[in-house]
Amino acid sequence: MVNNMDITEGDIKINNQPIIHCSDVNVFYEEKQALFDVDLVINEKEVTSLIGPSGCGKSTFIRCLNRMNDVIETCSINGSIVINGQDIYDPEVDVVELRAKIGMVFQKPNPFPKSVYDNVAYGPKLHGKFLNKSDMSNKVEESLVRAGLWDEIKDRLNEPGTALSGGQQQRLCIARAIAVDPEIILMDEPCSALDPIATARIEELIDDLKVNYTIVIVTHSMQQAARVSQRTAFFHLGNLIEVGNTEKIFRSPENEQTEAYVTGRYG
Amino acid sequence: MSEHIVSSFDEELNGISDGIITMGALVLDALKRVETTLKNNDHNLAQEIIDADSQINELGQSVENKVFNILASRQPMANDLRLVFSAVKMSLYLERCGDMCKGISKRIVKGDLNEAQSPDTIDHLINMSIKVHSNLALVLEDYGNKNCDNSLKVWRSDSEVDSLYSGVLTEILNAIKTKPEAINALVPLLFIARYLERVGDQATNIAEETHFIVTGEDLTDEEKIQIENETIF
Repeated sequence: MVNNMDITEGDIKINNQPIIHCSDVNVFYEEKQALFDVDLVINEKEVTSLIGPSGCGKSTFIRCLNRMNDVIETCSINGSIVINGQDIYDPEVDVVELRAKIGMVFQKPNPFPKSVYDNVAYGPKLHGKFLNKSDMSNKVEESLVRAGLWDEIKDRLNEPGTALSGGQQQRLCIARAIAVDPEIILMDEPCSALDPIATARIEELIDDLKVNYTIVIVTHSMQQAARVSQRTAFFHLGNLIEVGNTEKIFRSPENEQTEAYVTGRYG
Repeated sequence: MSEHIVSSFDEELNGISDGIITMGALVLDALKRVETTLKNNDHNLAQEIIDADSQINELGQSVENKVFNILASRQPMANDLRLVFSAVKMSLYLERCGDMCKGISKRIVKGDLNEAQSPDTIDHLINMSIKVHSNLALVLEDYGNKNCDNSLKVWRSDSEVDSLYSGVLTEILNAIKTKPEAINALVPLLFIARYLERVGDQATNIAEETHFIVTGEDLTDEEKIQIENETIF
């Protein structure tokens, strides 16, 4: 286990205010420990990339941030994750409400088998928002505009979401997440199933979204992490090895393991 | 640092490093021959230096092509990125060193060192060439070993080169005043001194680049001033 004192913060640079404070986070799948004493601070309205080899714990970690691991019976977590001053593992926390505030986009686009319109309207309806039809339509339009999809599909709102291209489906999922006014968007390898053009559109969208949202993204593409994020955290064997400004991580990381990984020497 | 998972990536990076090291060896050889040429007023050797410069230029072009390809195909990161990025600058510095050696040789071929009637000045130029050769050899050794043990030494030594240059300059200007009839033979010596001083500058540039490759940090202006202030002659 790496002592937390070894975790380096990289270059001194003015970052935004912290919004997520993770302290001593340990995650277990039954007896097997997947994360070890992870301490990580994530700043608001920035993109933070989580990188590391398969099985390093980055997806497990991102799923802790909106308690997605709760649905796995064998999964247990200890430590503290405080978002906006609230410990999200406090028994008083309403998990449905929490997930509205912390949206998630998955590796494979997963639109509901409903129309494009209903995909976006689903979340607000569930949370009892925008009961007026005109308000709801405005919200759907606003969300699709923010997801960079409106111009392409404004005439196809009644078509099934599953009829869209892979890249459009992923942006529809982002629109669906945005529609419930989250503060944080979690993205677990959002481009891994997309072609380079669709990937570029998502990356452009991430750039736009960070003005209003805090984004945490898991990616296997070092170049993507370098392009889209302001901070990068490297995980290895369940430990957070190094976190710092992205430029520093990819130009001259402090830790040898980080350097070995980002240069393709890690075997 | 261990090898890459993709072994051909290692081969490509080594190809770039080897290109720089070979360029460096050719420049060192040219400088050594400049020293001999100055000692012996050897016009044939000077012509050989002029002819050999194209080989350095071709190697520089080859390094640039390799850098271009590796950037496009591998998107190197961290220490690899630093090595690849710096190779472009290193090859440029070495190519310029080659040009300086060629420039010196042209001055020697066009004139006649003996006509300058300044054996002491020629000796001082030889000392300069020995010094810049030594500096360049030290920084290239660092580059080959991927450390920067000699970088600070070279920084210190460049002030010594500058000091030698300054002394030679004064000598030549005084000689022009006292022996105006030898001005056509003395002016080329001014150029030779200037070229050698510039090779010394390129050695410090290479020292900076090597420091950056190894540490990931640029030598800051404050560090440079501190090093210069530490230098005592």
